[in-house]
Amino acid sequence: MSKDRNGQIGGNGMNGSAKTTGAELAEKPSFVSGHDFSRAAGGSNSAGALAPEEKLTALKGHDFSRAANDPKTVGALAPEEKLTALKGHDFSRAANDPKTVGALAPEEKLTALKGHDFSRAANDPKTVGALAPEGRSAPMTLAQVREELKSVKGKRYWRSVDELADTAEFQAAVVKEFPGSAQEWVDPVSRRGFMKLMGASLALAGLAGCTKQPDEPIYPYVKAPEDLILGKPMYFASAHPFVTGAVPLLVKSDQFRPIKVDGNPDHPYNQGSSDPFTQGTLLDLYDPDRSQHVTYRGENREWAEFAQELRAKLVGSKDGTGIYFLTSTITSPTLARQWKAVSAAYPKATLVQYDPAIAGTWAESAPATQYDLSAADVIVSLDADFLSGASYPGFHKLVHDYAARRKSPDTLNRLYAIESTPTTTGLKAEHRLGLRASEVPAFAAELGNALGVASGEAPAYAWTDAQKKFLAGLVKDLKASSGKCVVIPGLYQDPSVAALALAINNALGNVGKTVFAASEPVNPYPAKSQIMDFKALVADLNAGKVDWLVILNANPIYTAPADLEFANAFDKAKIVAHLGSHLDETGQIAHWHIPAAHYLESWSDARAYDGTVSIVQPLIDPLYGGKTAHDVFQMLLNEPGPGAYSSGLSAYDAVRETWKPVIKGDFETGWRKVLHQGWIDGTAFDKTAKSGADTGKLSVQAPAPTSKDSLEIIFRPDPNIYDGRWSNVGWLQELPKPVTNLSWDNAAIVSGATLTKLGLEEDDIIEITVNDRKVNAPVIVAPGHPDNSITVHLGYGREFAGRVGSGAGFNAYLIRTAASPFYATGSIKKLDGKWGTAITKSHYQDQRGKRFGEQGNGNNSLEADEAIGERGIIRYATLDEYKANPDFANEGEGHEKTDRDVTLFPNWPYKDNAWGMSIDMNSCTGCNACIVGCYAENNIAVVGKQQVRIGRNMQWLRIDTYFEGDLSAPRAHFQPMACQHCENAPCEQVCPVGATVHTPEGLNMMAYNRCVGTRYCSNNCPYKVRRFNFLLYSDFETESLKLLRNPDVSVRSRGVMEKCSYCVQRISAAKIEADKENRAIVDGEIQTACQQACPASAITFGNINDKGSKVAKLQADERSYQVLADQNTRPRTKYVAAVLNPNPELEEAPVEHLPAKG
Amino acid sequence: MATSDLKPKDPDLYRRIDPATGEYRVIAPGQTFKSVTEKIVRIVLTPDTPLGWFAIFSVAGAVATMLLVAVTWLFLKGTGIWAVTQPVAWGFAIINFVWWIGIGHAGTLISAILLLFKQGWRNSINRFAEAMTIFAVVCAGLFPLIHIGRPWLGYWLLPYPNSMNVWPQFRSPLLWDVFAVSTYATISVVFWYIGMVPDFGTMRDRAQSQIAQYFYGLLSLGWRGSVRHWMRYETASLLLAGLATPLVLSVHTVISFDFAVAILPGWHTTIFPPYFVAGAIYSGFAMVLTLAIPLRKFYHLEGLVTERHIDNMGKVMLATGFIVAYGYGMEVFMAWYSASHWEAFMMWNRMFGPMGWSYGVLVTCNLAIPLTTLWSRKLRTNIAFMFFISIVVNTGMWFERFVIVVTSLYRDFLPSSWGTYRATKWDYAIYVGTLGLFTALFLLFVRFLPMIPMSEIRMMLPGAKITPKAAAKAGD
Repeated sequence: MSKDRNGQIGGNGMNGSAKTTGAELAEKPSFVSGHDFSRAAGGSNSAGALAPEEKLTALKGHDFSRAANDPKTVGALAPEEKLTALKGHDFSRAANDPKTVGALAPEEKLTALKGHDFSRAANDPKTVGALAPEGRSAPMTLAQVREELKSVKGKRYWRSVDELADTAEFQAAVVKEFPGSAQEWVDPVSRRGFMKLMGASLALAGLAGCTKQPDEPIYPYVKAPEDLILGKPMYFASAHPFVTGAVPLLVKSDQFRPIKVDGNPDHPYNQGSSDPFTQGTLLDLYDPDRSQHVTYRGENREWAEFAQELRAKLVGSKDGTGIYFLTSTITSPTLARQWKAVSAAYPKATLVQYDPAIAGTWAESAPATQYDLSAADVIVSLDADFLSGASYPGFHKLVHDYAARRKSPDTLNRLYAIESTPTTTGLKAEHRLGLRASEVPAFAAELGNALGVASGEAPAYAWTDAQKKFLAGLVKDLKASSGKCVVIPGLYQDPSVAALALAINNALGNVGKTVFAASEPVNPYPAKSQIMDFKALVADLNAGKVDWLVILNANPIYTAPADLEFANAFDKAKIVAHLGSHLDETGQIAHWHIPAAHYLESWSDARAYDGTVSIVQPLIDPLYGGKTAHDVFQMLLNEPGPGAYSSGLSAYDAVRETWKPVIKGDFETGWRKVLHQGWIDGTAFDKTAKSGADTGKLSVQAPAPTSKDSLEIIFRPDPNIYDGRWSNVGWLQELPKPVTNLSWDNAAIVSGATLTKLGLEEDDIIEITVNDRKVNAPVIVAPGHPDNSITVHLGYGREFAGRVGSGAGFNAYLIRTAASPFYATGSIKKLDGKWGTAITKSHYQDQRGKRFGEQGNGNNSLEADEAIGERGIIRYATLDEYKANPDFANEGEGHEKTDRDVTLFPNWPYKDNAWGMSIDMNSCTGCNACIVGCYAENNIAVVGKQQVRIGRNMQWLRIDTYFEGDLSAPRAHFQPMACQHCENAPCEQVCPVGATVHTPEGLNMMAYNRCVGTRYCSNNCPYKVRRFNFLLYSDFETESLKLLRNPDVSVRSRGVMEKCSYCVQRISAAKIEADKENRAIVDGEIQTACQQACPASAITFGNINDKGSKVAKLQADERSYQVLADQNTRPRTKYVAAVLNPNPELEEAPVEHLPAKG
Repeated sequence: MATSDLKPKDPDLYRRIDPATGEYRVIAPGQTFKSVTEKIVRIVLTPDTPLGWFAIFSVAGAVATMLLVAVTWLFLKGTGIWAVTQPVAWGFAIINFVWWIGIGHAGTLISAILLLFKQGWRNSINRFAEAMTIFAVVCAGLFPLIHIGRPWLGYWLLPYPNSMNVWPQFRSPLLWDVFAVSTYATISVVFWYIGMVPDFGTMRDRAQSQIAQYFYGLLSLGWRGSVRHWMRYETASLLLAGLATPLVLSVHTVISFDFAVAILPGWHTTIFPPYFVAGAIYSGFAMVLTLAIPLRKFYHLEGLVTERHIDNMGKVMLATGFIVAYGYGMEVFMAWYSASHWEAFMMWNRMFGPMGWSYGVLVTCNLAIPLTTLWSRKLRTNIAFMFFISIVVNTGMWFERFVIVVTSLYRDFLPSSWGTYRATKWDYAIYVGTLGLFTALFLLFVRFLPMIPMSEIRMMLPGAKITPKAAAKAGD
């Protein structure tokens, strides 16, 4: 009955276990001194002064399980306390952690072991008493071993497990208990492996690993407490190494667990913003399905064994013949340096890089082209989706600069998008032209010709009048703004598009003003062509030349182009080793599997898109003893000798060595500063270099488009899980994809016209055939998709992704070939049945036959008609309309403004703070970073596909998308929608138990513990932003997820309503700080999680009482409006109405919407 | 036109028509004190329970067991086993709650208001109608408790003193519900029980077995039938009737506030209180008919529950049906007259949206079929037809609540949050389960308690009447 766990996670069942050990405590008063307390000693000063009971009490009040798991905290305790701490809690975890156990004195370990099944017999006095002394020489049971150990008193302790294990009795006991692993015990190398296995399989205190960790200090970034202060987080600079450029990070660490990643606010590249991928990597770290053991043919082994074998082979080969490395794109300069060293020592060893979403694009080889959108009046995207996610290189900066110009109507830029699949970039554009992917190069060539770029003949093509008109208008606009415009090429396009874009930019005089050619590529070891390299590897595999194939952080069995038959070639390698975070498709069939460390667990480095080098600082020791590619290469470089395979030069040393020549001045001081700020000064690319593309020399032949009737299949990395690497990240799986609002699946995305033409309905299953390769997929419609074209997203249909990702969607890699990685022609066939996709937008969208009244132009969906029409939910104007009527957002019917003074009761006087939010509709590009940020900050549960299908997704924040205009050429409006914190909140009045209440600072709060779950508040909420735990959605069991949680936010149990709190925990933290310093909270001091993540700075939060604050100014703006103001809910979140800047020549009929009429 | 003109040929029918009024007699001729008492007492005190009773009871019991299973599963898993979701956060549970409470209203109206209005015909149907009320309230009362997310904390809705000084939030209509329903349940049970006390006396006196004597003796509270007892009995009845009468109006009014107080278009309506009360009585009388018709057939009570009762109940339904129709009409009218886009859209969506079919069912069952046919006395006294109508109206009234709850919620203010609602098997299991529970309880009632108040029927017999003429003769 009482599954009510809200806010009561810590401190369970402590009292009982504290008593049991109290007796033992008295017997062993002197344990604290004289033992290996290496880790404990550091923090024991303050804690040591407390009486044990006090310490326990101190711990009790906190999230205790965390404390118990944390080596340092535990270390600070006296032995008895440690035991108690361990006993009551997720013991298996703590006990398995070599460090925790290592920090215990031997007696403690024993006692720790007692509590388990494993040694039940030993605890039983009768069993012990029955043992005859002479029985000792007979083979012992493990229980007897425990007893043996326990009976040893005084100073005659065994020094290590190894010493004990040398006794014949113990070995006999092992053989009896684990006959299958008996051999391992004798083998000095694999004995540790056995220990780990035993520890894991029996969930008892592992006897493993008392190794002292090397000292590799990391430095706190902003605040540097002398020692850990419970409840006070620390922040460390790090970076998320991503293939399109690293994302510099500031990671929040609470009691040495990273619990939130955000952009580094001081970094010149992303200025604090992040993206959905980066936010999602946090859950990836704590993914319970990560692989945890080195295995050889499915049996647990040791890293040292692997190292020995690989190294022996390499050394034996003299020059590295037959040794192949297949890795994901190398992003780390140190790794590149290490590889170069390996390559120098063994010149015949081969390295192949392959990243399915990058292979074949200009990003794999070309030097980075930098765009400065802050200086661009006109932006043209040639199939470049630079506003929707980090899969486009330079995303954070591009969005930031784009959005900065959208903040004021005076600085508006104008965006043209030519795109082959609807993206938020296209839907944000003033003018959007949907073209099939193969038409884009030809269109680019036409554009180049029209702008005087001698780029060879543009392929002859029958452009429609509308397309010609678009081109003419675009050319005119570009010419008029030469030097102040920019043409951005798509990543997943023919190379000619990038070349043409550069030529056009050159011709328009943009280079040096808005376009800069960087001196180097972002990735330090660029491949000429990843696909060609990969093909060569397959050829070598087939030719039997490959003795060892070492796969580093790649999953080629899943991602390899289908036409290369990689799986067959794979079998021809003599030995395959796989370093990966999961036991994925490749790991399953590789001989060796080595768990990879997450980037938050290991040292590395990477370059942001602007070239700035960031050091990837680990925030936590590897949870499962993972290794990195650095370790693999370094192990090959180390001289053999004792311990050479496992220690030697670590990644930490390697990274330091790389940057020693770069960091100026005293290295240690400089290094400390680098870690502190997160990047190395002066490493940004030189942007003064002139463009390599000279208009005169250019000879690019754009390929001719395919026939208009042929069906084109477009492959794109998924906007949520990219190439499949984040399949098992629930936050990203459940996140509704931009444009389609599809979650948990990928789909064959088509236009409405194509759907009709093919005789399909949404959610039908079709068979897509490309070159005789087939895959089954569900069909969904995306407004604005070009006709005769199907978009499929990669990354789904995984078999061995883990419990979250396995089985979701279909595998588009099965029909993707090396020859045409980004678009191909194919055919489809309708199959029987429905797929059952989960789409979070309303279920009857786009049913145009059923419109209410005759409003709108008849093309809109009912939803958009309503939202843009009389409901006034979306308000916008064109620049001309705005100039004619600046107050357009608050005039006319349905655009009521509420007056705070019109009320029967006196208003609440806000003396100090009155929190409010402003969301700029003009800046928001619908990239979803805010939603994933909210997941991490607020411990939001993932509910699964079936629950999403029936509308129970739990995101506190959603991005409402309304499509306006023709289904084939829509304009979209993105509206982030979270709790509006109404002054007159309808939810508060109807709650029978007062679980949702108003704070004196204007927040509308949920008291989770008080909520009984009548759901009346949700019904009465006009914004439908409340989320209810219909079932037990939060995971209270999985150990690793416990570490993930934000300790400042309760984890909600079932039957409780929840919603956006304006990140009240952050408000409280800032208030405490301000109180301590006896000052008011400074504007901008508090950032909500969504605000922090937003690359467009579309969200502003602050005190609206402070008239000088940013949010107060924005709310006072004439364009600010409240959604559903006529309901007199008086929301505290206001939206700044968008002002669009269309090209008058291209604007067909004036867009009909109410504000203009007003 | 009097009934006698319609069927003068049938001598049996003629016997059952009161020549003075031309109406059906309230009690068929030929009934005496003894016959009435024997008839009613025998049903309860017989050692031979009819096999049919066992058959129906086992079915109803099985269905009630399904309810138990469904509620157990609900408590184990959470409300997520139902179809409730975003944006339709209330579903079958609230629909069923309002429906069951509404059904109860007829019983209270019959026992209290008609008593005060001295409608003698009520006596025959009063007892089991009141039993129906209580069992309906039992079924209804189940829902608010199980529909909340954390049912084990349901007592937090009660204003009880606690160490944290936390009180319920008195502005919430859900809290008013708690008071309304609990008051209603209490008064109904007391009224029902007090009404049965004289009959328990009779049963005690006639019981053969010791257990029955003891059982009914306990219940009869020492009833001896003295004048003093009768006087107190009558006073108590009147007082309780006076207490219960406002409840007939207030309970469903308060329940309508659950909706009317919210800001949702389709809920936020001032007409809800009278319209809910009328609807409640409408469906309540339909349920009384649904019970009475098989009951009089099964236990051969045609002499006590006559066509007159059926006819009168038909008339009440006709009247309340028209009030309900007026309510529907006003909703549509106000949607237009208010010039509010929200109201207009809500009404359009209710009628023509994806769930427009439910509005169609409602109009057909509540207006089209009953309000056109119940005018006809011929149909009103046609037992089979009235049974059919009672089922139709019950269905219609259930759909009225469905329409109010679901179609107002699934497309409200923000189009981005529009959704749909599709009930799950657990929704149905619990709804059907309460029907089973209700039937089972009712069957236990007819088996163990006097389902028709003997004392009151006896008072209506000619033998109980002292004609003024005789009195005059005797006195003067």
